[in-house]
Amino acid sequence: MDTEANGEGGSLVLIKQGAEARVFESTFAGRKSVVKERFSKKYRHPTLDSKLTLKRLNAEARCMTKARRLGVSTPVLYAVDPVSHSLTFEYVEGQSIKDIFLEFGLQGVVEEKMDDIALQIGDTIGKLHDGGVVHGDLTTSNMLWRSESNQLVLIDFGLSFVSTLPEDKAVDLYVLERALLSMHSSCGNAMDKVLAAYRKSSKQWSSTFNKLGQGVEV
Amino acid sequence: MFARELLELMQAGTLEPEIALLNASLIPDIFPVLAAAHKTLVSKSRDSLTTRTLHSELVYNYSGSKHISESLKRCGISDSTTYVLAARFGASDEERIAMKELVKGKEIEIVELEGRANKPQILKHYKITEGELRISTLGDAITCRIAARDAL
Repeated sequence: MDTEANGEGGSLVLIKQGAEARVFESTFAGRKSVVKERFSKKYRHPTLDSKLTLKRLNAEARCMTKARRLGVSTPVLYAVDPVSHSLTFEYVEGQSIKDIFLEFGLQGVVEEKMDDIALQIGDTIGKLHDGGVVHGDLTTSNMLWRSESNQLVLIDFGLSFVSTLPEDKAVDLYVLERALLSMHSSCGNAMDKVLAAYRKSSKQWSSTFNKLGQGVEV
Repeated sequence: MFARELLELMQAGTLEPEIALLNASLIPDIFPVLAAAHKTLVSKSRDSLTTRTLHSELVYNYSGSKHISESLKRCGISDSTTYVLAARFGASDEERIAMKELVKGKEIEIVELEGRANKPQILKHYKITEGELRISTLGDAITCRIAARDAL
């Protein structure tokens, strides 16, 4: 083989620092990648800390790949390292939905694109929920718009878990609704469009909507 | 050399130089092999190989499964294998020549992997559904399974 794996050799450039993890840009076997490294919390007992970190790391890897098996686009997982508590995955080229909606707010809504995005958000969450995966942090900054294919990509499965409870799914939708209302009030009835698409996509939409308190009005 | 003889040498640990022989029908793209190779080198650097050698570890890792013997059987070669991908970590020019002499096959280009892959066999081995293929290539689906194996 002429190609070489340069996962370790690739340089790391910090792109985001969160409360639970640091996110770097790097390369993995010749492809642009993202490394998400969970760091330890010094205020936690060391044994508890390492158990929690590892558990969450593995849960994130599982939910990300499970989502793909359900037909939900997420970054391709390249590597999981339980020693450095890090995940390496595909670098998705494209804007976040948050940035796109903020642009709509400033420069006016491009209706056609808005409809496409809302439809894909609803359809995607429906597939995810029917497969028993709850995202746990559905904000518009955790959704990307893959520029080459105009395809929605869900990211950050750090708070995701497996559940079939309508309550859990409704909370997912509620979090998204709050995010859309507070950040993107100028985007009109985006949530209505999302819910309409969700209803078409999810077989269990009605029990979820009941919990959301929206009933059949959508 | 016939696959059976290569297999015997490999199992005896006397294959020289040591190489990995992968069932190329299960390889639609080189990227998942590189992901498996990366995983192998990380384990090696921590002295935590699961199998006996660096090169058997590559075959085991490519399988995306935790069953060692089953993985080596399916993703490695058998008596009747005629289509293989030979790989060696850090191979020198001399070792490349020695590898070619060992295998005695007709060498083909890496780009031919996609066309020659056995898609039904890949879908079955890695349990890949059509739903996943709507959002993923075959190679990326395999890569995810290789990466996530130990998280399951």
